[in-house]
Amino acid sequence: MRGLLGFFGTRLVRAVVAVWLVSTVVFVVMRLSGDPVPLLLPPDAPHSEILRVRKDLGLDRPIGVQYAVFLGNTLRGDFGRSIHFREPAVTVVRGYLPASLELGLTAFALAVVAAVPIGLLSAVRRNTALDHAAMGFALIGQSAPTFFIGILFILIVSLGLGLLPTGGRGDWRHLVLPALTLGAFAMASIARLTRSAVLEVLRADYIRTARAKGLAERLVVAKHTLKNAALPIVTITGLQFGTLLGGAVVTETVFAWPGIGRLAVQSIYNRDYPVVQCTVFLSALMFIAINLAIDVVYGFLDPRIRPR
Amino acid sequence: MAQITRREWLTGAAALGAAAALPAVGPAAAQTTQKRELVVAQGGDISKFDPHFSTASNDIRISFNIFDNLTSRHPDGKLYPGLATEWKLQGQTTWAFKLRQGVKFHNGDPFTSADAKASLERTYDPNAKTMVATVYTTVDRIEAPDPLTLLIHTKKPDPLLPARLGFYGGQIVPKNYLASVGADAFNARPVGTGPVRFVSWVKDDRLVLEASPDYWGGRIDVDRVVFRSIPETAPRIASLLKGEVDVITQLPPDHYERVNSGPTQVRGALYAGLYVLGVNSKRPPLDNPLVKQALSLAIDRELIVKELWRGRGIIPSSPIAKGDNHWDASLPPLPYNASEARERLKKSGYKGEEVVIETTVGYTANDKPMSEAIVAMWRDIGVNAKVEVVEYSVRAQKNRDKSFKGMWWSDPTSTLGDPDGMMWRLLGPGGPQDYWRHARWDELGDKARFSVDEKFRAEAYKEMTKIFLEHNPWIIVIQPYEDYGVQRYVDWVPNPNQQFEVRRFNFRMRRT
Repeated sequence: MRGLLGFFGTRLVRAVVAVWLVSTVVFVVMRLSGDPVPLLLPPDAPHSEILRVRKDLGLDRPIGVQYAVFLGNTLRGDFGRSIHFREPAVTVVRGYLPASLELGLTAFALAVVAAVPIGLLSAVRRNTALDHAAMGFALIGQSAPTFFIGILFILIVSLGLGLLPTGGRGDWRHLVLPALTLGAFAMASIARLTRSAVLEVLRADYIRTARAKGLAERLVVAKHTLKNAALPIVTITGLQFGTLLGGAVVTETVFAWPGIGRLAVQSIYNRDYPVVQCTVFLSALMFIAINLAIDVVYGFLDPRIRPR
Repeated sequence: MAQITRREWLTGAAALGAAAALPAVGPAAAQTTQKRELVVAQGGDISKFDPHFSTASNDIRISFNIFDNLTSRHPDGKLYPGLATEWKLQGQTTWAFKLRQGVKFHNGDPFTSADAKASLERTYDPNAKTMVATVYTTVDRIEAPDPLTLLIHTKKPDPLLPARLGFYGGQIVPKNYLASVGADAFNARPVGTGPVRFVSWVKDDRLVLEASPDYWGGRIDVDRVVFRSIPETAPRIASLLKGEVDVITQLPPDHYERVNSGPTQVRGALYAGLYVLGVNSKRPPLDNPLVKQALSLAIDRELIVKELWRGRGIIPSSPIAKGDNHWDASLPPLPYNASEARERLKKSGYKGEEVVIETTVGYTANDKPMSEAIVAMWRDIGVNAKVEVVEYSVRAQKNRDKSFKGMWWSDPTSTLGDPDGMMWRLLGPGGPQDYWRHARWDELGDKARFSVDEKFRAEAYKEMTKIFLEHNPWIIVIQPYEDYGVQRYVDWVPNPNQQFEVRRFNFRMRRT
């Protein structure tokens, strides 16, 4: 029990430190990189006008004071008001979250559901036409830029064949192309890693033993191989999950999908400090939560890592 | 003013090349429609609805439709009545406006002179903290003697006040509603007198507006207007070609032919403004007029228009945009003469100092390709020129600090249809591009601003143009077309100053 508490305790402390570090870096970098005020005012606004707006936004205060205010407010869940939208940053980000989750979860589900069986089959039928075809596609999925895949989908599937909408959020049809585009990279990575992990295990002594004692190949693969190959697969799947939730900027931009990746990038361009801080904070939190979950899953999968 | 995301230009070229190979889809040459909804896709989303808090082009496309101004500038460049039915100058410094009777805000409140007075005063009220506080600096005080009369007293004669009232800062907001709900709630649920009223907005997805049934200018030709934000060029064009949207903004010139065929077409307006290279005339060698003359003469603008703009632009003749007051039709387009350029460079005593263009990528259309072309032309005459790429916000910062190394792209908009609203607004003393002073030029600009004698103003701008072309505080490059892609069933005329309107006077759907 104590071991378990220690296991979580250490990880929790690490998580908090990580979130604090990320927030601080973002705070500093955003302020180093430029001033939001010239972007808000008309190009012919005089200097006095700029000074006034800076004061209104609290940007004229010493950076230490700004940082202290920022930390205090963040602890209370208050990220300040969006400079660009003139409403609380949290409200802004909350408005974008459902779309991001919808796209990220769909892409993730598509990726995992397709990639694990493909990787497994490729490994079991190594060096067959099926293996070559699957890994060929995986290579394309991993190396072609998301941007290119997205535009190609729009031009061929939407415009050429007239099948699905070109972009925007709506019913399930709007979700198909962006989810495939976003999931392509993850799908390819997971499939390739599944294949190599399974191949590795298939060479192990215990597999030879299992075969030698006359187990059906199906059982060998399902029971002995997959479970032992699961560790790296879970790792990469978890990492990909985090990326899919927070790093969908390109897909969201190509498909005009209103997600937080696009919000984050637009907010960086607009120097909208509060919104950037809030999105980064949330993304970091999600990533860390996923990592924590992976750690826990490890314990279940591999008794050797289990906290005693 | 033009807000084009920097990615757009990179994107479009490659992708649309592929699109050209695909067959055109959708109903063959749909010339008419039964649609009751107009869908407009623009390159970026709205940030604010309160018209006094933004001058961004993605925002004013909406605010000019939710709200009305006292005067209205139509696509023909002329001023027409808006919420004011007539106006005249009384004496030298008092403009009297007669207001339209029976107009109602979307919430049912009647529109009166009190709203007009409060709106205009709000723009420069320090407590309101608006982003348009500099629009009405000539105003001394405003009176509303009766509900349908507005008197605006200016500090000095201001011939352009009616024009100022027609552009940003001039949108009229409801005094009582604004006071009762506060600025934030008003920004979230705007109420105006315009032809459409606010229904809903999901950020970066869609804004829904509906026709105001009893709009004073006539109910618009559709029931709903939807604005979508599609940041990338290629998907935006694809959505038009597929028939998902009816109008797209910011169509790059290299897609002209693709869009101008089948059921879609290109609608363009000659931009009410110019694309120029701003010049830091304080830094050697750009403080030397002969060097700048040489730089201007060395630019083969015809080639730029033909190759980079596919002909979608004209070569300017002066710092006054074609279509503005006092544009001089007798002046020839800016000349290209490389040997004369070499000559003047030699005469200037130029010693090989570096001349830098700090360009953005896509802040103004074609900025980087034009920079590269121009630098090559300058190198040809022996100028040590080079291009440096800066980010959009860095450009904004440098613009504010007036710290450009040499040259940068600027797309001055003629906000008033008059040189006062362009070269004088930007280059005048204390203006945002004040890098060059010339006593006579300053004197003329100041007098012309405050003169109600159009003949005097014409003469003044003529002389200012002459001085300008000798000193080149901007190196003027092109006056481009601003192109939109539209379905053929949409009958709509774009406004040169980026004011996007769906009022009856310039928008209807062709129906069977």
